[in-house]
Amino acid sequence: MTVGFATGTDTQEAVRTAGNTDLDQPWVVVVWNDPVNLMSYVSYVFQNYFGYSEAKARSLMLEVHEEGRSAVASGTREKVEQDTVALHSYGLWATFEKAGSE
Amino acid sequence: MAKPFKSTRRGITGALEPGEARLLGALLDDVVSMLEPETAPSEDPLAALVGMSDADAAATAPDDSAVHRLLPDAVRGDDDEALAFRRLTERSLREQKIGALRGSALLIESNPMTLNHDQARLLAQALNDVRLVLADRLSIESEEDAERLHEIADSKDVENVESYLALVYNFITWLQESLVQALLKASKLQR
Repeated sequence: MTVGFATGTDTQEAVRTAGNTDLDQPWVVVVWNDPVNLMSYVSYVFQNYFGYSEAKARSLMLEVHEEGRSAVASGTREKVEQDTVALHSYGLWATFEKAGSE
Repeated sequence: MAKPFKSTRRGITGALEPGEARLLGALLDDVVSMLEPETAPSEDPLAALVGMSDADAAATAPDDSAVHRLLPDAVRGDDDEALAFRRLTERSLREQKIGALRGSALLIESNPMTLNHDQARLLAQALNDVRLVLADRLSIESEEDAERLHEIADSKDVENVESYLALVYNFITWLQESLVQALLKASKLQR
C-alpha cells in the first residue's frame, strides 16, 4: 500500500489488537498488499464494508501492509465468496481460502 | 489546481479545474472501455435472463495485466478453481465497476461538487480503478517504484510520456486521498 501525500496520516501510532478474526469459521477472506492502494482507503473500505471500528480497520490494514497479507473476515464459503467480490469492486486485491491453509 | 475534498454539513465538497475534469473524464471513459464485455449476452433466453453470455462460460483470465488487476483471481494457487469462479462472477463485477466509473464521470461534471456519502464512495472506487490502471502502465510493482514517482509533482518535471503519466497518477492519488480523508471524517461524525 501507499501513503497519500496530500494530508498527514499518523498510521504509525496504531495499536495492534489481538484476535481480529474468528478462526473457528471454515473459510477466510484474505487481502494482499499492493503498492497502489492507499492505506487510508483500505482502512475506509474495512470500516465501510465490514462495519469494523476505526481501530480494528486500521490494525487489519497495517497487518496487510507489514505482513503482506491478512485474513480480514471469515464465515461460510458463500459469505467469503461474496466478500471477495465486494472487495474486488473496491479495487482491493482479495482472495478466499479455507481457514488455516496458510 | 483542484481544491481538496472537504466534509461539510451539506456533504462532501470538492472542485476541479476544467482541464482536470476533462482529463479525469477521459481516464474514466478509458477504464470503462477496457472493462466493457467484448460479447453480447447469450441467445439462450434463460442464460440471457441471468446476464450470462456464451462467452462467460468460456471466460479466461484477462490478457491485459491492468484488466487482470481490476478483475483479479479470487482463488490463489488453483487456476481451475479461480477460472470457475471467474465465469460465475466476472460479468457482474465488470458491470458494477462500469456503473461506478460512468456515475463518477457525471459527478465530476458539476463544479463545485457536493456529494452525499454514496456518491463520494462511488467516486473513491472509480478513482482507485483509474489509479490501478495507471500504476500498471507505469509498472509500479513495489513501494519503492511508487516512492520514486512521488517526486514528479509539477509539470516542470515532465520530460516524456512516462513522467506525464506519473504526474497524472500523482494528481489522482492526491485527489483520492483527500476524498477518503473527507469520507473518514464524515463517517466519524455519523457515529
